[in-house]
Amino acid sequence: MKSDFSHYVPRPATLVAKKELNELVTLFEFVLDSGKPLAHRPGQFIQVSIYGVGEAPFSVSSPPRTDHNNFELVVRRIGSVTNSLHALQTGAKIGIRGPYGSYFPMQKFVGQDFLFVAGGLGYIPIRSVLHYMLRHRDEFGEITVLVGTRNPQERIFTDQLAEISRRKDVQVLETVDVPDDKWKGNVGVITTLFPKIRINTDTTSVATIGPPVMYKFVIQECTRLGIPQNRIYLSLERHMKCGVGKCGHCQINGVNCCLDGPVFCYTDIAGLGEAL
Amino acid sequence: MIAYTIYLPQTRELLKNWATELNVYVPTMVEDGFYEFRPWNGQVEIAWDYDLCYTTLKRFFLPPREEIISFDMKKYAASPVIEAPKQLLFGVHPYDIKAINQLDQLMEMDNPDVNYQARRDNTLIFGLEPVHVAETAFWSSMGAASVDFGYDLYWTRISPGAFFVQVGSARGEEMLKVGGPVEKSSVAQKEAARRAHLKVLAEAQKHSLKYDWQKTPELVNKFFNNQVFWRERSQTCLSCGSCVLVCPTCYCFDVKEEADDLLQKGSRYRQWDGCMLKGFAEIAGGHNFRETAWERYRHRYMRKGKYIYDKLGELGCIGCGRCVKACTARIANPRAVYNEIWEAIKNEV
Repeated sequence: MKSDFSHYVPRPATLVAKKELNELVTLFEFVLDSGKPLAHRPGQFIQVSIYGVGEAPFSVSSPPRTDHNNFELVVRRIGSVTNSLHALQTGAKIGIRGPYGSYFPMQKFVGQDFLFVAGGLGYIPIRSVLHYMLRHRDEFGEITVLVGTRNPQERIFTDQLAEISRRKDVQVLETVDVPDDKWKGNVGVITTLFPKIRINTDTTSVATIGPPVMYKFVIQECTRLGIPQNRIYLSLERHMKCGVGKCGHCQINGVNCCLDGPVFCYTDIAGLGEAL
Repeated sequence: MIAYTIYLPQTRELLKNWATELNVYVPTMVEDGFYEFRPWNGQVEIAWDYDLCYTTLKRFFLPPREEIISFDMKKYAASPVIEAPKQLLFGVHPYDIKAINQLDQLMEMDNPDVNYQARRDNTLIFGLEPVHVAETAFWSSMGAASVDFGYDLYWTRISPGAFFVQVGSARGEEMLKVGGPVEKSSVAQKEAARRAHLKVLAEAQKHSLKYDWQKTPELVNKFFNNQVFWRERSQTCLSCGSCVLVCPTCYCFDVKEEADDLLQKGSRYRQWDGCMLKGFAEIAGGHNFRETAWERYRHRYMRKGKYIYDKLGELGCIGCGRCVKACTARIANPRAVYNEIWEAIKNEV
């Protein structure tokens, strides 16, 4: 089948609201100029264009929703595109391609207990799955959320997390690697939270996202608890440049992270030497 | 099989005719022993007996730099840019046709790349049976000594003054008859073409893999974790990317853009990139998923020997030997690498 449709042409979207989460991280709320929903699924990513600067991939942080068409990106200031994003004022335009890639199979999780393990900015894509579950709370069993951050200043979504912690039907545990004077919570890497959780490993699935170094240790802990590997899901970060399986940048062994990922079941990547 | 016999003096008239409606490129000697495809203008001397053209033909379908969209920064609108000049590549060797066939499939797969396809659709390929084999080539052992498709015509020189021309497409046949009727080939001429093929095949087989190429994916995969091997082989790698630059089946690219000085309009383009370059697998924050030269080196041989095979059922290396020539460190030789892996595994108890 031939068509003239080019995957490389972005659609315009408008910045509706922005909110600083910490010194480097800001939450952006966008809406497509077409007025249509982004139609993404939890875990998928989009390509964001700032014309004249460039294009970069970001996970969508908000869950798919039906009450309005806005979607949220949470972005850390680190390169040219992200710095330009931070400089945008409400009403400014960006270009969007996608959504692209695999997503968390929410249907499979219905009726299951769920464990989230989020390291640092990994909470951003995790949030899409977590909030989806909170919006459909009665469809899922016990929910446990582990959040690890380098230090208290870098924590994000502190208000939302505090609110979620107050719920009776969600268990939230937080830790920081390096505390400050005011920090009263757990100290240590994210795996130090595992001894504190009470979960039924027969009915629990896991979603874990964090820095590359984290995965091995989280999978070890999950395995130690007795969670089978085919119930561990993770999202891998790579720099997708084209987003459509051509440019080669996001390749993990023979797998294109932009097509087959970013969300993988652990059993699908366990044999790939370049994955973790 | 439909085939015609074309005599050398006829080719000039045909070329003239073809050049009126499309850009014709032919192999020619640019320096002693170096051949390239260059535009045919009547003066260019065709190197009918060239052994290997140094730069690959992928540039005709995937230019080193190609605009893919143009954008308006004020209105925030973008539109596709698809350029596809009509072109004819005359004199393409079978291994290079095989490489183009692979690109055709890879660009069609999953999400069709319209820029590539538009260029490919506007390109005619006239194959040419080689008569010489480059010192570094080993295509006969990579399943690339002949192709069943991917050409509009396939030319074999059967005598100093005559070609046996096999028809690969209706459009090819039309092009052949553009100046009037041409002679149908005889059985004897077909036989002469077959012998010409066997003759060059015999020469090509002097440089070959020591085993059946079909075993490569399994062999190279077994060696994936053999760090000692990859580290040793890549010790002198300069990470210069020459091997991927000249590779006919490498198609990785980077996406970049430029705006005008008034910041009103601009264009986004893609530009050849290569997995052998240091920053290729780097992400925001500086983490590099292939930090060291040996990891990048391994990726290249895995990609040619296994990953492409997993997608297409053919090796990603067609044995042209360009990378062998291009590598200044003299370590990019797929034949040597794969043979060494085979030897090592064969000798394992």
